[in-house]
Amino acid sequence: MPTITIDGQTIEVSGDKPLLQECLNQGVELPHFCYHPAMSAPANCRQCMVEVGTPLRDRETGEIKTDANGDPEIQWLPKLQTSCTVQVSDGMVVKTHRTSEKAKRGQRDTMEFLLINHPLDCPICDQAGKCPLQIQSYKYGSEGSRFEFRKVHKPKRVKLGPRVMLDAERCINCTRCTRFTDEVSGSCQLTINQRGVKNYPITGPGETFDDAYSMNTIDICPVGALTSTESRFKARAWEMSRTPSITTINAKGSNCYYMVRDNLIMEVVPRQNIEVNEYWLPDEERVGWAYERFNDERPEHGPEIRVDDELTPVSWDRATDAASNALSSVSSDAVFFLGSAHATVEDNYLLSRIAEHVGAEAPKYIPHVEPGHGDDWLRTDDRTPNAQGCERLGIHPVDAEVLRSRVRSGEIKVLYVLEDDPVASGLFTAEELEDVVVVMHYYNTTNKTLAATDVALPAAMVVETIGTYVNEEGRAQRVRPAKVIKEVNRTLMMATGKSRTDMHGTPFDRWHNESHQVDCLPGWEILPKVAAHLGLEFEFSGPKAIMLEVTEQNPAFHGATYEAMGLQGHRLEDVGETV
Amino acid sequence: MSEFNIKKPVVPLPDMDPEPQIPEDELFFTEEELEQIERYKEKYPTNRSAVMPALWMAQQKFGFLPPEVMQLVADALDLPYAHVFGAATFYTQYYKEKKGTYVLDVCCSFSCQACGSYDVLDYLEEKLGIHAGETTEDGRFTIQEVECLGSCGTAPMLQVTNGPYVHNLTEEKLDQLIEDLRNDKMPPFTSVTLPQDEDEMEGNRRSDVEHTDTYQTPPETKRWI
Ligand code: SF4
Ligand code: FES
Ligand code: FES
Repeated sequence: MPTITIDGQTIEVSGDKPLLQECLNQGVELPHFCYHPAMSAPANCRQCMVEVGTPLRDRETGEIKTDANGDPEIQWLPKLQTSCTVQVSDGMVVKTHRTSEKAKRGQRDTMEFLLINHPLDCPICDQAGKCPLQIQSYKYGSEGSRFEFRKVHKPKRVKLGPRVMLDAERCINCTRCTRFTDEVSGSCQLTINQRGVKNYPITGPGETFDDAYSMNTIDICPVGALTSTESRFKARAWEMSRTPSITTINAKGSNCYYMVRDNLIMEVVPRQNIEVNEYWLPDEERVGWAYERFNDERPEHGPEIRVDDELTPVSWDRATDAASNALSSVSSDAVFFLGSAHATVEDNYLLSRIAEHVGAEAPKYIPHVEPGHGDDWLRTDDRTPNAQGCERLGIHPVDAEVLRSRVRSGEIKVLYVLEDDPVASGLFTAEELEDVVVVMHYYNTTNKTLAATDVALPAAMVVETIGTYVNEEGRAQRVRPAKVIKEVNRTLMMATGKSRTDMHGTPFDRWHNESHQVDCLPGWEILPKVAAHLGLEFEFSGPKAIMLEVTEQNPAFHGATYEAMGLQGHRLEDVGETV
Repeated sequence: MSEFNIKKPVVPLPDMDPEPQIPEDELFFTEEELEQIERYKEKYPTNRSAVMPALWMAQQKFGFLPPEVMQLVADALDLPYAHVFGAATFYTQYYKEKKGTYVLDVCCSFSCQACGSYDVLDYLEEKLGIHAGETTEDGRFTIQEVECLGSCGTAPMLQVTNGPYVHNLTEEKLDQLIEDLRNDKMPPFTSVTLPQDEDEMEGNRRSDVEHTDTYQTPPETKRWI
């Protein structure tokens, strides 16, 4: 492995990456805009300049020349080099802005050029607070500009496609967005229009930027030129908390951050995990319903039970009591448990334990597979996040035909549903469930099964709970609570993400408030309450302890403790057909 | 395309929902043209490079390059439409809309600017009564502000309809040029060399052109600056 010297510090580097990346990997920060590790390096922003030298070799002997002190003589390249395109070689010597006045000056002057026609509208820009251009101009730019002339004005509100809005004035023409469509997503829908001061990225006239991954360009844009049509102007970067978690619209388990203000999910952005989604997220994870299901379609009341054919709000104790009464009121073979590929491993595990305790058959789950939806990348045919987790727990897809006939014949009298919607999935019609007592943990008021439900228990969603999901490839990953629920639980509170103002603000300058808290509970709180009424005492201190037990008892989860999963997940051993 | 200039630097958005301008039954390449495009493709390692001659050919054929022609070129080269659009808009030599018979491409890059190209532009604008980017009502002249045409030594200069250059511009030269063009007389292709080079080479080295010129520092009175 080559050894290079950066600002007098000698370090060993991998040698197969450009100098800029090697520096960043070593924690040596260098300003840059156009370079992105997943794409080619066009070196067009010119911001990553450093001085580069190599040891001088004797022409005849090929030996490295040394000076009087025995140190190698260094031949400096006459001009500053863009570190993103320099291939490292053994013995290379690099001076960054930390030790070289020339590099510092180069970076400062480049910045002045980049800002010549930039509108400097940070006060109204969504990127402010997380903007590489803003941050780096504070750190490396000069205080003022010598450009005292009229700035070039460009189109400020161009809807490139249904999800991406362009403000061409802010663009620094780094071409990250066009390279993304050329090299990563492959739609080739963006290009740079015109040249010189007039250029900016756009689609060809008449074409729409409807790439299924278009919103990634918003994330990689180093300025505020590309914003989301959905979340622009809704929340400033510093008002939101940022919770590392995973997305749940498909079985890929892409890593993400949930951005929250006032207990509403404002944005979902990708979180790097090279093993899963690299740097990207598909658009489907962050438009329309992806937000509505967390914010708008949540139950207004807490738990409810059916009284005189009306769902009526009751306390959690009464609701869980009613749930367990339903389970104990009939013989065990008249009870059917539906697990859920939307619910966590922990919750499904507890459900299996209860099923076992009452002597019912093992739970089954409703598969939500949409053939053709997947694209062999970050979208999958499976529209649930945890089918693999269910399988590994021994919870298998339900046989719809058999279950339907058992319900019709009156054989099944109590149906216990964990976080799913059997009616919307086409398993039954609401009428068919009329004579069945339905206990359901549910997320959204749009749940079609509510019409036939007798005990409705609002369940915490992925953004409110702690738990484990196993993606299609068998990677077990943790989710963390991004927003607060009404029944604040200490375990949840300690894990809930905080915004800058939550952490540092005084009560007077806090933007956040206590609104939008849903009266729901995580499955691992509801299920033990139900179990307790049935004489089954779970003595877990929380989801972490549940998962520990799962890993100890079930070899399909071997090693997937909370510590091991951490932020990047834990790849489980492959398992055969039968678990 | 625009009235973009130093006093009013506003970049417009192209028409993002354009009406086709070439009748559908004329929008095709003939067998021969397609064969020619095949030959362009063979010349380069990737089709992306063949976009330049193919666009040029299309411009010769259709007169200009509206979006539907760019799409036609993209299809012929099996390239994304956006790539073709990007290349076509980069070069002022590709006409994105219908131009006048004579396009006056006034270079406004650094050397020409320093030698007064904005005065050239102003003079022409006033004389023809149009802004840069516009076409006269009779459809005869278009003025364009363009980037360096690689003839900085003879600044300020302009190019006529992607053809001959007119060097060392003065008011008189512009008057003469417009007059000639009104009579459909194109300026000759002129090769300009430096006097010292001519001494060394015993005359202008371009023996293949009719019109040669030797660079002379223009007299003070006639200069734009
Ligand atoms: S819009 Fe953003 S990502 Fe695209 S070229 Fe401009 S600055 Fe770069
Ligand atoms: S990051 Fe190196 S030139 Fe842009
Ligand atoms: S600057 Fe005008 S030709 Fe180069």
